[in-house]
Amino acid sequence: MNPEVMTAPSIDYIALLPYIIVGAAGVIGVIVEAFVGRNGRRPIQLVLAFGSLIGAFGVLVVNRTTLGLQAEGAIAIDGPGILFMGLILLLAILVALLMSERQLDPAGDAFAPRASALPGSDDERELTTRGYFQTEIWPLFLFSVFGMMLFVTASNLLVLFIALEIMSLPLYLMAGMSRRRRLLSQEAALKYFILGAFSSAFLLFGIALLYGYSGSVEFSVIADALAAEPGQTALVVGGVALLSVGLLFKIGAVPFHAWVPDVYQGSPAPVTAFMAAAVKVTAFGALLRVMYVALGGVRWEWEPLLWIIAGLTMLFGSVVAIAQTDMKRMIAYSSIAQAGFILIGVSTATAEGLYASIFYLVAYGFTTIGIFAIIAMVRDAGGEMTRLDQWAGLGKRSPLVAVSFGIFMFALASFPLTSGFIAKFLVFESALAVDNLGLVIVGVIASVMAAFFYIRVVVIMFFREPVEGSPAAAVPSATTTLALAVSAAVTVILGVLPEPVINLIEQAGVFLR
Amino acid sequence: MIGNGAVVLSEGAPSLEPLAAATGVFAYLWLLIALPLLGAAVLLVGGRRTNRWGPYLGVLTVSLAAVFAIVLVVSLLGLPADDRAVGQTLFEWVFVGGFTVPAALQLDQLSMVFVLLITIVGALIHVYSLGYMEDDPDRRKFFGFLNLFIAAMLLLVLADNYLLLYVGWEGVGLASYLLIGFWQFKPSAAAAAKKAFIMNRVGDVGLSLAIMLIFITFGTVTFDSVFAAAGEANESTLTWIGLLLLLAACGKSAQFPLQAWLLDAMEGPTPVSALIHAATMVTAGVYLIVRSNPIYDGTAFALTTVVIIGIITMFLGAIIGSAKDDIKKSLAGSTMSQIGYMVMAAGLGPIGYVFAIFHLLTHGVFKANLFLGAGSVIHGMHGEQEMRRYGALRSVMVITWITFMCGYLAIIGIPPFSGFFSKDDIIHAAFEQNIIIGICGVLAAGITGFYMTRMVIMTFFGKPRWPDDAHPHESKPVMTIPLIILGIGSVVTGAALLYWGNIESWLEPVTGIEEKPLAIPTIVLEGITLLIVLIGVSIAIARYRREVPVLAPKGNLLTVAARNSLYDDAINEALVVKPTYVLSDGSIFVDERIIDGTVEGSARLVGGLGARLRRLQSGFARSYALLMVGGAVMVLVILYLARLP
Amino acid sequence: MSVDNYIILACVLFTLGAIGVLVRRNAIVVFMSVELMLNATNLAFVAFARMNGNLDGQVIAFFVMVVAAAEVVVGLAIIVTVYRSRRSASIDEPNLLKY
Repeated sequence: MNPEVMTAPSIDYIALLPYIIVGAAGVIGVIVEAFVGRNGRRPIQLVLAFGSLIGAFGVLVVNRTTLGLQAEGAIAIDGPGILFMGLILLLAILVALLMSERQLDPAGDAFAPRASALPGSDDERELTTRGYFQTEIWPLFLFSVFGMMLFVTASNLLVLFIALEIMSLPLYLMAGMSRRRRLLSQEAALKYFILGAFSSAFLLFGIALLYGYSGSVEFSVIADALAAEPGQTALVVGGVALLSVGLLFKIGAVPFHAWVPDVYQGSPAPVTAFMAAAVKVTAFGALLRVMYVALGGVRWEWEPLLWIIAGLTMLFGSVVAIAQTDMKRMIAYSSIAQAGFILIGVSTATAEGLYASIFYLVAYGFTTIGIFAIIAMVRDAGGEMTRLDQWAGLGKRSPLVAVSFGIFMFALASFPLTSGFIAKFLVFESALAVDNLGLVIVGVIASVMAAFFYIRVVVIMFFREPVEGSPAAAVPSATTTLALAVSAAVTVILGVLPEPVINLIEQAGVFLR
Repeated sequence: MIGNGAVVLSEGAPSLEPLAAATGVFAYLWLLIALPLLGAAVLLVGGRRTNRWGPYLGVLTVSLAAVFAIVLVVSLLGLPADDRAVGQTLFEWVFVGGFTVPAALQLDQLSMVFVLLITIVGALIHVYSLGYMEDDPDRRKFFGFLNLFIAAMLLLVLADNYLLLYVGWEGVGLASYLLIGFWQFKPSAAAAAKKAFIMNRVGDVGLSLAIMLIFITFGTVTFDSVFAAAGEANESTLTWIGLLLLLAACGKSAQFPLQAWLLDAMEGPTPVSALIHAATMVTAGVYLIVRSNPIYDGTAFALTTVVIIGIITMFLGAIIGSAKDDIKKSLAGSTMSQIGYMVMAAGLGPIGYVFAIFHLLTHGVFKANLFLGAGSVIHGMHGEQEMRRYGALRSVMVITWITFMCGYLAIIGIPPFSGFFSKDDIIHAAFEQNIIIGICGVLAAGITGFYMTRMVIMTFFGKPRWPDDAHPHESKPVMTIPLIILGIGSVVTGAALLYWGNIESWLEPVTGIEEKPLAIPTIVLEGITLLIVLIGVSIAIARYRREVPVLAPKGNLLTVAARNSLYDDAINEALVVKPTYVLSDGSIFVDERIIDGTVEGSARLVGGLGARLRRLQSGFARSYALLMVGGAVMVLVILYLARLP
Repeated sequence: MSVDNYIILACVLFTLGAIGVLVRRNAIVVFMSVELMLNATNLAFVAFARMNGNLDGQVIAFFVMVVAAAEVVVGLAIIVTVYRSRRSASIDEPNLLKY
């Protein structure tokens, strides 16, 4: 490299437009927070959020044939990358619909009027009675989505790390912003932050070791180095291990799952929906890319690791969910179990496994959004009613809501004619294609156990007499209804006619190097 | 078209002749399923608005399906015997890589007879339910669930591949679960529903593993291609598939060791017991085994296991049926026993498949007849189910009594009632195969004679033992007319199917057929069987002719054991539940409301484990961090071990 | 002095940081321990840059510092809020969410 001449990197701004739109909207959102009067902020933020998400999705669709490595090889815009980005944007739009809900809670939206006010203080009461609400959550949300898009297309370990932080830091704050039950919410934020920072340190040290081994953080260089040179056990094993720890943490795989139940329970329902759907999709996107592209050369080593983790995750999630009494917590454990099922697809290291995982994520993402939309609707004056026994008799009082929730439960329990059945079928099939019968048997056993607690929810809703004070689901505004309808429709359509989506995923092909 | 793209065979597999395309009337095959499904959708989604006319719509859809089924069978008869199988692809359902599963239907001789049984008996039971459920506030929902059941059951028997069959299989399980728990205000009903669900899931594991094994072995799940390639698979694989399918059949058909749920399932309304837990759903296991006959043909071991399971259940059910005082539970024991007969027959191989199905059909009719008769009695006695409180009902319920007697004579196998032909054929086939199996069959026939006679005497004869304010009465025509039709069916089905319908040659293209010479002439065998049955009948008459005490006498050891369903709950409790308790004193964490005392042992085991594991989640962020460090060490160790050569 | 020694030092510091997270109770100290882990990583990056003879590692170290600074902003905001509502910075005290 000649030190005197500096060549400007070649950047294709058109190809990067989706990132730029979302990121810029976040920045503008911050400026709006600083300079626009309180009453003017919300409409602008809503326009910014929906406009940028829909716009980015549109550009993505238009650009879908422009594939290639961008920004000097730091970002890989390839078929699966576009799919993941598109899925993240769609899920984010649904989450934004949930976040903009203002009809369920009589005091306003789901977020604290001022996160810094002391819980239960006069200050807080006054803010509430005066109808204050905050809009900082919107730029945070957009930054997080921006980080997610970057995370699933990162083709360089440094970009991977930075994208992870851009995604996570706003999430830590959003977790602590609940309007109701603020102590729980703050606790969730603290735990999420400490453990998240802890895991990023592991991830970063893993990156350092892999850099030491290969002399670069580019996925392709690392892949070549791993393929060429088998030596240097300590650096490779350490690097792969710590990198996997960081990614498995975000996925919520056992034994890195401990944050999931606490954070899901404490966060406001729209944020939990965001974490459970979009973050999980993103983390799997990154895991798939790292494992298949950068670490493809040592797949004989990480395959057994993922088998063990997948088995542990499925069994642990399903077993512990049975003993839960809180709806959000139960769904949290269920999402741990679901992560285990998706890991089956990842662990195959085949194109089939990749497609199966992506399909599973599509099915799971939409179902999850629907679930949290309904959890936000079942509430009383004090906030969401998440104790399972408070859901008794919901089928009598709000039949339509209960039926939708039933559909989601059946989907997660992978009953035929729902998206969950096809998803599980594809994942198991991909594992069978590489002759991994053992893992499939564990998966079947785990899904049988899991079916028990999903169906129990249906029983509680329809077959249990309502207890004193358990209300009907509150009537939401059009935004939540729309999000709910879309999730339910996707859940059913993917179960009956999955073929177009499967075709789409298969046409996307595999990761670029 | 069915063969189109659905077949992904390994190299060298025999090429298949595709099924005839569904043309003419067969092009509307999908209507069979769509009609009841539509009914279910309208009734369940429509809500209270449909309360008034909903039940009639439910009856209408199933009746139309029944009429259409008759049209289909007539058209099928018009085809040459070799072409009586048509396929119809609805749409490509799952499509990934080189692997496709179309949502395709297949109507052949075997599915046709099932379709007839399901739609016709189903329609009669729907009509009957109009009367039986008249006063129930949730009657619309009941008919919605019944329609759903019919749709799922038709899908099960019309599917042309294992995966679609699995959809129907889960569907009937769900409908059965909803209907057992229909009177959910009774805690016993809710518990029974849960028990049935869990035990069925155990069977479902068998089915899903079997489907996966089939897929690995043959690369496809379509019946035709699997069966065409079955001859080339190695025997141990076929044995495993056979055993897993048997496990599935045990769950759905209440065969040993998964039989315990059927007795509890009687908590559901009586029409449900008649339709689902006697005539149709519980026979799905027999259907599965007979449908998979090319697989069983390659594995003597699995077939022998099928026979053994069948024999055990046959006796188990008969003994339980002899001791229960609840009329429905006694009938449920009898159902178990009769399905044991069918499973045993199916286990005989090509000699027996046809007769398993033959008995299944006659049983479907006469058992529905008996159950509806019992329902009529219960209805007339205002919900009383204890036979010890009946007696002398023949004078007040003439139609119910006469039709019940038709079913009674059919089940114990008196010529020329329907059960005689089918049961006799099974016993005949059993003797052809192995004399011990034959003797078992004859003995069970004798016990059948005993417990059915006991039931008839306790219910319709003797002195009245009902309380003074009971006022038993005959049911309304809407209930008695289906009874009369089924009663006639109990008389004629056997002979009609055998001589007029020629069931043996009808089913032969699907199941194959085989006959072996028998040492003794058929007529002698029939005579001996009849003699044994009559001995059973006379013992029952001798014991119950005199006064029947209203309170059950203490009884001998076997009676007590049988009254307690041979302690199946206690055995479950001792083998699974107790050790779990010892293992997990941490079950105080199990919320009593959720894992309450009624849940099945297996669920307790998992629940107890869950309660212990959730304590890992201590709520302290630092212990989570410790768990993560431990996990990181685990990951390091696994990767390091994987790197070792 | 061989590069190996720097790597070993980085590993030791990283481990010390991890132990700090596990044993200290004050949220601020826990957080500082995490920062120690990040800085240990920076040391490793720089040492590896020297070993591999390219500048990537050093550049990465700068990026990590920026990310760490952003993390401080978010982290302190959360810890301070919790401190204000509970009058304690102990990380063991918020313990409502469990099982």
